[in-house]
Amino acid sequence: MKRRNFIQKAAGTLVMVTGAVAVVSYLRQFFPRRAGEKRRIALGDPRRFPVDTYTFLQDHNLYVYRDHEGIRAVSAVCTHLGCILERSTEGFTCPCHGSCYNDQGEVLSGPAPADLSWYEVNRSADGRIVVDPGRSVGADHKYLIS
Amino acid sequence: MRSQENNDTAGASRTGSVGGERTRMINRNFFLHIHAPRVHVHSMKPAYSFGLGIILGFLFLILILTGVVLMIYYNPSVEQAYQSVKDIVYVVPGGRIIRNMHRWAAQGMVIVVFLHLVRVFYTGSYLGNRSLNWVIGVVLLIITLLSNFSGYLLPWDQLAYWAVTIGSNIAASARELTDLLGVTAAFDPGGFMKRLLIGGEAVGQPALSRFFALHVIFLPLSILVLTGVHLWRIRKDGGISRPAASATDRAGDQKWYAWPVLMWTELALLLGTVAVILCIALLADAPLLEQANPSYPENPAKSPWYFLGIQELVSYSAFSGGLLIPVLYLAFLFSIPYVDREDRHVGIWFSGQQGWKVAGIAAGGTLLLVLSQLFVMIRYGWLRDWLPGISQGFVMLLNPATLSAALFILASEMVRWRTSSTRMAALTLFTCTFVALLIFTAVGIWFRGPDWEFYWSPARWPVQ
Repeated sequence: MKRRNFIQKAAGTLVMVTGAVAVVSYLRQFFPRRAGEKRRIALGDPRRFPVDTYTFLQDHNLYVYRDHEGIRAVSAVCTHLGCILERSTEGFTCPCHGSCYNDQGEVLSGPAPADLSWYEVNRSADGRIVVDPGRSVGADHKYLIS
Repeated sequence: MRSQENNDTAGASRTGSVGGERTRMINRNFFLHIHAPRVHVHSMKPAYSFGLGIILGFLFLILILTGVVLMIYYNPSVEQAYQSVKDIVYVVPGGRIIRNMHRWAAQGMVIVVFLHLVRVFYTGSYLGNRSLNWVIGVVLLIITLLSNFSGYLLPWDQLAYWAVTIGSNIAASARELTDLLGVTAAFDPGGFMKRLLIGGEAVGQPALSRFFALHVIFLPLSILVLTGVHLWRIRKDGGISRPAASATDRAGDQKWYAWPVLMWTELALLLGTVAVILCIALLADAPLLEQANPSYPENPAKSPWYFLGIQELVSYSAFSGGLLIPVLYLAFLFSIPYVDREDRHVGIWFSGQQGWKVAGIAAGGTLLLVLSQLFVMIRYGWLRDWLPGISQGFVMLLNPATLSAALFILASEMVRWRTSSTRMAALTLFTCTFVALLIFTAVGIWFRGPDWEFYWSPARWPVQ
């Protein structure tokens, strides 16, 4: 290999590598770091929820259900395209595309691809009752109010 | 500026005749270079091009001018955005008119861009050496829709918030497929698209900032650059398309000087476009609902009307309606000039008698097919109503959207087999898909009410 060819090839490679790094680091800018874990939601005094009723927590897009034994929490976000569900006679309906779920959050009709998520309800270390949207549980999971 | 590309130019300027004078007018002016000094007579027939391309340019000009004013008063923060739009409407002198013009010109662009697509397709203007310009045109169509959609979020009202929530989840709907395959944890292109689009899991400040940047800089700049290339290609491809027969005529015999006749016509079109938009802006106000409320969607939550066709499809399945079908449709549009190379059809509406017939049958068949599927779906329900607990895979792949698409492809293959013409096959598929798009859009606009139920008219919606 002649010296000129070598220098040409070396320079070309260098330019390409630098360019690739520049492009990748530029495109990287479009992806923010993950915004941390999903924060747990403090429910406050469980007795403030009416018995045998789904109560909508609008700041958290969550339905809380309380019966005589305990408390459960289900996502109010439709699994189809993220609209907020309304209560209906069967369970929940989505105003956007008409998906229906029963009281257990199972899909009855419409385009929803999955059942609703139930979230773990627990007592945190500082004694508050919290919902953890990071942890999905079965529909029968219940935090027992003692 | 001496142009070497056109022999007419050099010849005419030497003679110093009236023609030479007119040629010099164009040569001296950068902006007049949009046209060749002399343009073929056929290109100037109003019923051939309808001036749709140039109208798009004028609408874009209106959008830039009104957009700059709006941008001065608009504040792209979640706390301020809604109030600043309200100020534009109620406080800024003339602000309401400016905002209305911006909104209606944008929607006008969507209408005209589709009409332009239809005109170019049915006259076979993608044939010959124009395939690259067709592709650029389709890209411009996509960017026009994206510009509209990104602008839709900015007022931060209920309409905006929920349309973009739905839109961003459509972008994420590849998850439906990856969930079904159980690979979402390792490979999540849906989540990737959604994060790229709105910078998080839910629509918030990052989404607003992103859409603002896209809407005021990136997309308009892209339109500007690509329009430049689009126009330059028209010049390079020998003006707008015309039947091959007239191309063999003696060059020059059938050409007119672009200055002044064509230029005056275009100026008239500009005035007409501005007048129409101004009148609509005076008569109809751009909607502005209550401030965005992330806990209560509008019911029905409808996206902008030009996306209601897709929203109707999405109400069958997010993945197939929001991703699969649109991607297939765009792939079809992009591939047309590379599959159909029957150049003899260039410049003739519907390629003559046979094409009219094929397109007519395709349109009628589509009307029948799509409406009957909708009838069954609305009257008797669909898979999940008949077989509760059916697998999501069936819901995703067997619905009016996918069934129609499959039948359209089948029909166009049959036409290709019967006529042994790719142009006729393309005519079939284009007509079927376009008519279906119109039907689904009409259903979404006029016949869907609360909970996306079917209603004959909004007057029959239940009182809430």
